[in-house]
Amino acid sequence: MDLNYSPEDRAFRDNTRRWLEAHVPADDLKTLAERKAWHRKLYEAGYVGMLWPREYGGWGATAMQQAIVQDEMARIQAPPTINGLGIGFIGPTIIVHGTPAQKERYLKKMLTAEEIWCQLYSEPNAGSDLAGLKTRAEDNGDHFVVNGQKIWTSSGPIADWGILLARTDPRAAKHKGISCVLLNMRQPGVEVRPLKQLTGHSLFSEVFMTNARAEKSDLVGNLNEGWAIAQTTLGYERGGNSLGRVTRYAIAFSQLVKATKQLRRGGRPLLEDPAVRARMGKLYAELEVQRYAGLRVLSALDKGDSPGAASSITKLSYTEFEKRYYETALEILGPWGQLMTAREEFEEIDTSSGEAGTWATAFLWARAGTIYSGSSEIQKNIIGERVLGLPKEVRADRLKA
Amino acid sequence: MDFSFTPDQTLLKNSARAFLDEHCKPATVRLLWDDPRGESEAMWKEMAQLGWLGLSLPEEHGGSALGMVETALLLEELGRAAYPGPYWPTMLAASAIAETGTEAQKQRWLGAIASGDARATVALLDADLDWSPDAIATRAEKTPAGWTLSGLKRYVAWSHVASVLLVPARAPEGVSLFLVDPAAAGLTSSPLQCMDPGTRWVNLALDRVPVRAEDLLGAPGSAAPVLQRLLRRAGVGAAAEMLGAARRCLDMAVGYAKVREQFGQPIGSFQAIRHKCADMLLEVENSHSAVYYAAWALDAGAEDAETAASIAKAYVGDASRKVCGEAIQVHGGIGFTWEFDLHMYFKRAKALEAQYGDADHHRELILAHVAR
Repeated sequence: MDLNYSPEDRAFRDNTRRWLEAHVPADDLKTLAERKAWHRKLYEAGYVGMLWPREYGGWGATAMQQAIVQDEMARIQAPPTINGLGIGFIGPTIIVHGTPAQKERYLKKMLTAEEIWCQLYSEPNAGSDLAGLKTRAEDNGDHFVVNGQKIWTSSGPIADWGILLARTDPRAAKHKGISCVLLNMRQPGVEVRPLKQLTGHSLFSEVFMTNARAEKSDLVGNLNEGWAIAQTTLGYERGGNSLGRVTRYAIAFSQLVKATKQLRRGGRPLLEDPAVRARMGKLYAELEVQRYAGLRVLSALDKGDSPGAASSITKLSYTEFEKRYYETALEILGPWGQLMTAREEFEEIDTSSGEAGTWATAFLWARAGTIYSGSSEIQKNIIGERVLGLPKEVRADRLKA
Repeated sequence: MDFSFTPDQTLLKNSARAFLDEHCKPATVRLLWDDPRGESEAMWKEMAQLGWLGLSLPEEHGGSALGMVETALLLEELGRAAYPGPYWPTMLAASAIAETGTEAQKQRWLGAIASGDARATVALLDADLDWSPDAIATRAEKTPAGWTLSGLKRYVAWSHVASVLLVPARAPEGVSLFLVDPAAAGLTSSPLQCMDPGTRWVNLALDRVPVRAEDLLGAPGSAAPVLQRLLRRAGVGAAAEMLGAARRCLDMAVGYAKVREQFGQPIGSFQAIRHKCADMLLEVENSHSAVYYAAWALDAGAEDAETAASIAKAYVGDASRKVCGEAIQVHGGIGFTWEFDLHMYFKRAKALEAQYGDADHHRELILAHVAR
């Protein structure tokens, strides 16, 4: 047991910090072109696609190095990369299950963000019960004809390509008969309508497919075996963000300290109120425990252990913590915490979406974490069944199957 | 970055588990609950033979000079067994003697403790229920032969089996540490009955208790930082023990949920139970991270060691109470019975939660550190 960073990791951190200090844009990035340019610069420096094998344009780095980069980016509050879903989930799926032609055609442009990717999984009636999806992809010779509706699609309006789950055999049992195919988003049969979230932002969309065309050559894996691919996709978590995430919490904590020094109640700063202090002490403890848990995951990855279903514990832990964190912060900060525009006396903080906002926006964003990428309830099912070995529940759809 | 245990550490953990499974079964614990002494002399001797009593003590005094990580591993196993006895208070007193004692004091006590001939305890809490050294009100007055101590020490664990008591008291120079003979004149011990029958506390009333000059530990007035270090170490150890109790409760709850059937199904197939178990596992794993991070930080002298120790105590106190309590809920009625073993771990974790600084105490330490 040695929780010191290795000399190599420390040197890597120093280099990363120096590079970021020299290159982080001075002004906010406003346009998509600006964000792509920043992403490209990070990629060329070796800070994007770090875990991807070199043969696909990646850098073959360690999970620890990736975590260090994310950590340093959070520390300096660098603008985030784009195409995160593509690089974190979709690309690795193509690397594992795709054909050589697919790898050749898609991977490099995904890494460099020349092409933006989205995930076409959830449907209005298939959320946690994803296998209940109804979108159909019908065989039409050299291509599929796709009809249906997807929802909660991040990056929808800017996406060039999507990874789609669709039913290719309507007669097969629920978890069978689903295929995974890559869909060109830039075609007349695909319509993207942004959804407005309760934060007021529109970061995800509905996607309508009407006689859209997906090439047979873009089928990922075997026909009707898409469900297994979706499972590996959902389970792809490498701990790369574990340090950066906690650094963002820590930056927010120091701003909470600052705010509670300035806001007053009963003739004294909030920070001197014992009830406030007890809550803040508890928050800081929980924040640090997230960091320790992150180091434990990185240590396991360094040794080549795959976290597998245990990554559900990480996801459950930090998303639930994040809700408690901002809930408690807003209890402490009172009406001031609910302001949606930053006042000059208090700085903005980073929200869980990685973008700057007020305490109120962070509080609202925190509701998303326990829903996306498998809700907390789904994570607990996974932990119960696959980590603790508890018996499967009796489910109506399993009885039929 | 390596958060895993070395082969030697794993060996220690496994051998502790094997020994306690054999020699500290739940039935053994129950026998000791009914025993006036409350701990087993035979088990203590075997613990000495296994090297546990000298685990962290210097080699020249019969110890193995191992660190807090090894100590935490052992304490986790002791907590898992709901071991009743003065192991941790003895080790705490010994570590203070090792840290600040004179050669003569070390000669007198450390070898005897490592060999199992002596037990010790610490009297950290005064009349005021505040664990900070500032709150120590017991007075130490100089006499021609040494000192006399007067005051009240609350919830002192296992002093009835101790050969020596580590007593902080306020001398004219400031807070100082004294090695006190439990049989000294003027010392009145009032046994208390704790909710956990495996925890033995007394209140100690000191009325001009004589202490020889050579039983002053360290220089007069120099004890506050020693006590703060002791309390951090104590907190991490208690957290490890609570972690062990919580893991035992989780294992029992999961085991039960697999076999107990209602509505024609094992109850573990119901999400209401399964989700509870998942939440319990989350708390246990986070507690593991908190305990071993803090233990490592103390060993390595990491710059955040102080905060990490307080975090471990505060976090695991809450987490173990939740986990042990939810295990009772998963078991239903059987979990509420005296015959079923769950309450051993539930009560042990609860007793430790209030020892060595409760969560509120440590949260204030954390905040004082990070919000200046």
